[in-house]
Amino acid sequence: MCGIAGIMYKTPGGGDTGKDLIDMLDGCQHRGPDSTGFALYGAGHDGELLLRFMIVTDDGGTASIDAIRKILGDYNCEILDEETEGGNYRVRVRFTGDLQKFAYALEHGATVISIGSSLEIIKDIGGAHDVDDVYHVARHTGTHGLGHVRLATESDVKPEAAHPFWATGFSDVAIVHNGQITNYWKMRRRLERKGFEFRTDNDSELIAVYLAEKMSHGVALKDALRDSIDDLDGTFSFLVSTKDEIGYAKDRLAVKPMVLYETDDMIAVASEEVSLNRLFPGKALNTMEPAPGTYNTWSRSTYPNNQ
Amino acid sequence: MVTIDLSKQSITEANELIRQCGERGEDVEVLNPDARHHIGVGLTQGIKVRVRGSAGYFCAGLTDGPHFEIDSNVGWGLADNMYQGSVVVGGNAGAIAGVAIRGAEVVVKGNVGSRAGQVMKAGTLCCAGNANFMAGYMMYGGRIIILGNSGEKVGEDMAAGEIFVGGDVQSLGSDASQVAPTAEDLKGIKEFLDKYGLKFNGTFKKIVNAGTKLRYKNPEPPRRNIPFFTFSGTTDYWNEKVQEDIYVKSQMGRYRIRGYGAARPLPHLTDIAFKRDLSQAGRDPDLLKRIKMRTTLGDKHGAKPLDLSMPVMIAPMSFGALSRSAKLALAIASRMSGIAENTGEGGMMDQQRAEADQLIFQCLAGRLGWNVHDMQRANGLEIYISQGAKPGLGGQLMAKKVTKELAAIRGIPEGIDLRSPSRHPDVLGADDLVIKVEEFREATGHRIPVSIKLGAGRVRDDIKIALKDTFDYVELDGLQGSTGAAGAEVLEHVGIPTLAAIQEALDALDEIGAAGQLPIVLMGGIKDGVDAAKALALGASAVAVGTSAIIAGGCIACMQCHIGNCVVGIATQDPEHEKRYNTPIEAVHIHHFLEAMRWQLAAITDGLGYSDVKQLSRDDLVATTPEAAKITGLPYAPEYRDPNLQLKAS
Repeated sequence: MCGIAGIMYKTPGGGDTGKDLIDMLDGCQHRGPDSTGFALYGAGHDGELLLRFMIVTDDGGTASIDAIRKILGDYNCEILDEETEGGNYRVRVRFTGDLQKFAYALEHGATVISIGSSLEIIKDIGGAHDVDDVYHVARHTGTHGLGHVRLATESDVKPEAAHPFWATGFSDVAIVHNGQITNYWKMRRRLERKGFEFRTDNDSELIAVYLAEKMSHGVALKDALRDSIDDLDGTFSFLVSTKDEIGYAKDRLAVKPMVLYETDDMIAVASEEVSLNRLFPGKALNTMEPAPGTYNTWSRSTYPNNQ
Repeated sequence: MVTIDLSKQSITEANELIRQCGERGEDVEVLNPDARHHIGVGLTQGIKVRVRGSAGYFCAGLTDGPHFEIDSNVGWGLADNMYQGSVVVGGNAGAIAGVAIRGAEVVVKGNVGSRAGQVMKAGTLCCAGNANFMAGYMMYGGRIIILGNSGEKVGEDMAAGEIFVGGDVQSLGSDASQVAPTAEDLKGIKEFLDKYGLKFNGTFKKIVNAGTKLRYKNPEPPRRNIPFFTFSGTTDYWNEKVQEDIYVKSQMGRYRIRGYGAARPLPHLTDIAFKRDLSQAGRDPDLLKRIKMRTTLGDKHGAKPLDLSMPVMIAPMSFGALSRSAKLALAIASRMSGIAENTGEGGMMDQQRAEADQLIFQCLAGRLGWNVHDMQRANGLEIYISQGAKPGLGGQLMAKKVTKELAAIRGIPEGIDLRSPSRHPDVLGADDLVIKVEEFREATGHRIPVSIKLGAGRVRDDIKIALKDTFDYVELDGLQGSTGAAGAEVLEHVGIPTLAAIQEALDALDEIGAAGQLPIVLMGGIKDGVDAAKALALGASAVAVGTSAIIAGGCIACMQCHIGNCVVGIATQDPEHEKRYNTPIEAVHIHHFLEAMRWQLAAITDGLGYSDVKQLSRDDLVATTPEAAKITGLPYAPEYRDPNLQLKAS
């Protein structure tokens, strides 16, 4: 009940991640009118973390932000800069230590959207342009990013349930997913026994944590994606991103669409070709549809001259 | 040649223009398509349409006659349900290329996505590159030519037709087998390839149906069945119906298939009562003149609505499950009572169209009898997801009913035990469904309401999806609904009761602040005007009657529906049995029954002090059992129980 999109630039310095993803998502907004989200990767700095939170804005956000600042203080974070934007509080900190412990502490006291050195997730109810109006997504440039539009069936369309999902406890991992994981509870309990926490009952969050857990043991993203096709039941087409990679996996039943387009300068993936064509109006694109049960990754580091 | 630039015009405007060009016999060129969906949908003239670039979903869908050329790629559902005509794609096609085609020639010069040719009936789908997962899935006829590799599970559950593979056969689907092509096959393929300028020098493998799954192996033992109206699972635990069930299974060694619905007591509208004493209601002979009952349905998105003289419709039942004569009686009765008839699965008959003033045309997953011409002459279009008697499952039509005539209308082989698919080829989620709805609207110029038929299962989610996917109204069918044939265990245990279904639906809309925004037509065990009035008071906008209309029209529940030996000529395709059915007389009987419903509705409305059925509300109702109170949230008031029932219980 969704549309997904992803883009990675091969060129030095990257491209207009925000603007391009807005165009792509606007092109498939019919697949999900309720909420829209973006995972945007910019240039990160070692030892620094970029944190985004949802806050309660009734009091101008004071109570929420105070609670967050207290936890940041508990973990000896140095606040470098901070701002509020729409219903979000965005803060850049200097942090060294156990990220998972820190992340769970933040999760227990606040609503975390994303944590990463270069990742920022922006998501809220409404269409791509609605979210851009509040959060100025179009201003974001960077190396790569993911996007998602969603049709919700829960009683209250909450921004928390919007995609992308951040892999709670793991820096810079984000996921967007179209489909349904049918062995969700089995997989979730397995991960919970290993000490992982889940914030929602959304099966897409599970994929994010599942992949991040594998990568934390040194498994390459590509191998983690290969395993996911065996381990996850159901119908899925999902995109995952890390600090310098994007990848996809598709279930063996080929139920959820995905179209891919690659040039010398970029790689773009979307649920429908109409989204890709938004980036290249008036041009017939030489696209390809990944086969059922396949996966792949692209890494910024493999492209020359882009460091 | 007319040029249409999609960077300047909306797809709806473009399709209107393309249809006008069709009427004038002028060819069309489409510029800047940019993979937009629904290009050329609904075109029924033999003009040429050249698409300069890539097209999106359902390009050339729901068409008959035209010739399309697409320079580059196409999305899902290429040439969906195309009858005559041709499509040539220069690039690749997405999933289900050539879905449900019925005569068209479809050529894709690149690769095709998964499930190419799903439920196709006739014509040729040719892929010059490689095919993907499950090409020819559930195909009923026609020819698929794949010059490259077949993809996995080629020919999965194909009932008939031929698949030719020039490359590797990666794996065969269930009930498919590989045979040697005949000289005639190869000659036909060569002619086709030559016609479209395709070169191929290799050899072909031929894949056909293996014939292991087309018929149930053991038939039900011949015996006089106990009529449906005897319920099992009442006070006597090992009653005769339970014994019968055990006996029949002991003979067959498989699950039973039967007609009708759940035969066990369930919470229902009978467990709800009106608060007021209505024993004096309906004494005014001019009642019908005073009480407003006219109901319109389907104008939510600008279409011309159904205009019903009362909030009642005939429930969807297929020509196939029912005889032609029985369907005609329903059509005539619907006209006489000023309400709407529904084709159900299996196509529209000319006589039925002529007799019914308002006719809803239903689209099921197998696309059996579905076509653009009948869509355009319907008064409503309906996407069937499932029905209350068997939510989540496809239909069954046993071999005796799949006659030559019926097979021809549906485009399937004669004499198979037809198990129609449970899923639409192109509706695998709410995201695809919204594109499908738009395809229907594009094919009919946005003039005809589009509804969805939902069997009560996961109502809370489904109803929200129906709202968000822009349906005009919902037909919601509970567990007490009947069917022509389904597994007995499914009938008894899979669905959820009608009462729970309507309540869940209303709660779901309420939850998202959309109360009153999506009309619900409730069905599944509505047996008279009293039930109808209760359903309306609960929050339905109308009701639909199937079983009760059939009984009014002569059904005696002989339980031969699925076998097709109906003794009164209703649920049969046997001409000898059908002869017994007197259509004009039974039409009047059904009409009389509908008029009795009208009177009851009016009398109750009047008795409650209202002048319009729309004024009926939950405040007029109480629940007489704890179960009904729990399900509906109505106040529990056992004192309103029918005193006769109370006597029986004690």
